[in-house]
Amino acid sequence: MEAKVDNIVGNFLFDTGAAQLVLNSTYFRKFLTTTGGEGTGITGSTGVTRHAQIKILDVAGLIYKEQPADVTDLGHIENRRNIKVLGLFGLGMLKGLEIVIDVRHNELRLYRLDKTGNRISIHNNEFRADVTERIEFYHNILFVKVKIGGKMLNFCLDTGAESNVLNSYAPKKALSTVTILRRSDLIGTGPGESEALLGKLNDFVFGEHQITGMQTIITSLDALSSTYGYPVDGMLGYDFFEKGDICINLVKNELKISFTKTD
Amino acid sequence: MRNKIKYFLVLVFLLNVFKGFSQFDPGTVCRVENGKTYFRIDLRWNNDQKKELTRLFDLDSLVLDAVYSGKKEIEVKNAQWKMVKLNDHLVELSKVIKSVPVKPTTVNDIFMVDDRWLNIAGEAERQSVEYGVNRFTNIAVFHYRDGVAFFFLPGHKEAKRVFLSGSFNSWSTEHTPMQICDSGWVVSLNLKPGKYSYKYIIDGRWVNDSFNKLKENDTDNGNNSIVYCYNHIFRLRGYTSAHKVILTGSFNGWNENELSMIRINGTWMLPLYLREGTHSYKFIVDKDWITDPENNLKRPDGSGNFNSVIGIGDSIVFRLKGFRDAKSVVLTGNFNGWNTGELFMDKYQDGWQLYYVLGPGNYEYKFIVDGKWTTDPANPSTTGSGDYMNSFLTLKANYVFQLDKFPDAKVVSVAGSFNGWNPGNFIMVKKNGKWIFPIYLKPGKYTYKFIVDGTWILDPGNELWENNEYGTSNSVLWIEP
Repeated sequence: MEAKVDNIVGNFLFDTGAAQLVLNSTYFRKFLTTTGGEGTGITGSTGVTRHAQIKILDVAGLIYKEQPADVTDLGHIENRRNIKVLGLFGLGMLKGLEIVIDVRHNELRLYRLDKTGNRISIHNNEFRADVTERIEFYHNILFVKVKIGGKMLNFCLDTGAESNVLNSYAPKKALSTVTILRRSDLIGTGPGESEALLGKLNDFVFGEHQITGMQTIITSLDALSSTYGYPVDGMLGYDFFEKGDICINLVKNELKISFTKTD
Repeated sequence: MRNKIKYFLVLVFLLNVFKGFSQFDPGTVCRVENGKTYFRIDLRWNNDQKKELTRLFDLDSLVLDAVYSGKKEIEVKNAQWKMVKLNDHLVELSKVIKSVPVKPTTVNDIFMVDDRWLNIAGEAERQSVEYGVNRFTNIAVFHYRDGVAFFFLPGHKEAKRVFLSGSFNSWSTEHTPMQICDSGWVVSLNLKPGKYSYKYIIDGRWVNDSFNKLKENDTDNGNNSIVYCYNHIFRLRGYTSAHKVILTGSFNGWNENELSMIRINGTWMLPLYLREGTHSYKFIVDKDWITDPENNLKRPDGSGNFNSVIGIGDSIVFRLKGFRDAKSVVLTGNFNGWNTGELFMDKYQDGWQLYYVLGPGNYEYKFIVDGKWTTDPANPSTTGSGDYMNSFLTLKANYVFQLDKFPDAKVVSVAGSFNGWNPGNFIMVKKNGKWIFPIYLKPGKYTYKFIVDGTWILDPGNELWENNEYGTSNSVLWIEP
């Protein structure tokens, strides 16, 4: 998403995995309102989130004034995709809206809602859903229930993730329905040495609807669960979003899917 | 009847035994349980099957060797594997899955689940392209002449708005509207020779060019159409009785089948895009390899024959002063694969010289004077040290690293993502009290640091920096397209 932050123009990633507005410290260091920890300058510690206040943010016609934002290092995202990322645009920024993610057409549509969660403009037809599921928020992160191998699991929704992820500590019954296709040792540049497995989800059900042909990364999400203080069995990423149009209604707290008809 | 059943059962049994010898189903080899990976390995698998196993599951050959030698506890590269024998030929190998370490956690760091491995799993890295030929099924949909590219989208007359979006306009959704005409939509734009990817946006819908067979995967959104704007036509007059003429050269790895020439009015022709620089080539006329009869520039191929040579772009002069008594001086560098028998320099009044065409880029080279390798005495820029020191040359530099502090430092170099963070590689040169290093960098993001007499520092003149995995930081540089 192209956006303008106090006259700096660039790309924001729409990321349901992010809570609010997150700015990349590479470009927004000067905006920091809290100066603590900045004195050392050159070293700068990793993983520390600091705060900034943005005067005007303009994203796709939505104007935010005096917007607080987190500032953190997003260099790893830039380096992987080789695109300039000013920041992440989280779900919390879209309260009171309905969001339609149409991955196939590279479109993100936003609709204003009334208090009951219906679209305000009469020209906007309601979203035609094949499946409707309740969503839950935990720390502003969106969770849905999915069923793998008959087991009900907690998945968070992440438009920023390129692939689905399944916890390697998920119930045995769920893991046994996954065909492992590949494994890879990730010999990273730093101390973050790890491995990843790629599997095929053979029995994935979302709201009584079987979804076939999805792949998933399998890795340990225990650290993530302890961050949230909430068990995370997996994440739904791009593989899921490309299955159809996804609609998130942030008033009714519903997730709807209109599946792409395949020939 | 009972006998029949018996025979049937025996047959089923035999089939299973038979299957057991060759069965290798990647889908059943590996499973995950309680945070552990398990591999079920059949000791009877042949070498091909073992190779496939290593390829798919990235298993270290040391691990496999240990399994076949019957070891129960295996430790390779800090990883602990356990082996359990299930029966005579079936073993189970297991190991705890190393988890992705989550950094001191802010909520937004969690999505660092590393997906770089997706690239390892098959997506080839895009490299700068050497050459290209278009594959349109309808020749009317694209033309390129005198620097102007013409795009035509037939049909879609009912559409309200159509845009052309691609690498040439940074995938803008608005910059390049198309005009409606009798039979479709058209637009022309100025483009330099090269490779471009594009799509049409028809009333907000992204579609690729259905008349273009060249497509490439785009990570976000299906396939992009690919087009080359040509900068050269190869021609071979005569040979009218030949059945087939193939163009082959250094640019396509001397492929003997790929580039068929087309006969038009008694001349074999092939237009294509070639990257700026010097290329060697030959024609294959019905299996006979010949040089280009109309091109006088030929160079030895290092094994006793000659290739035709063509330069696309500006030529530069390599000069070595003096050495008038030398018998031969050869130029060699990374631009010709360090070939020592190709670029023989010519004698001129002050020494030796050679005209050579090179595209924008960074090059390393040396002269070989009567067999003795030497750097270019007239060029202060070098890389490496000792016997591995080469002269360094940047053509059409689009960025200059600058450091205007530390005037008394002995050695200042720049290291970054562009040179594998090699600190001794790009040595900066002092000019007017400033340390400088001009370089050609392709568009994209780079991280770097300066090394001043052995101490790594951020670029004090650049306010953009980010943290790195070692707990320090790197300067950040973006080269815009």
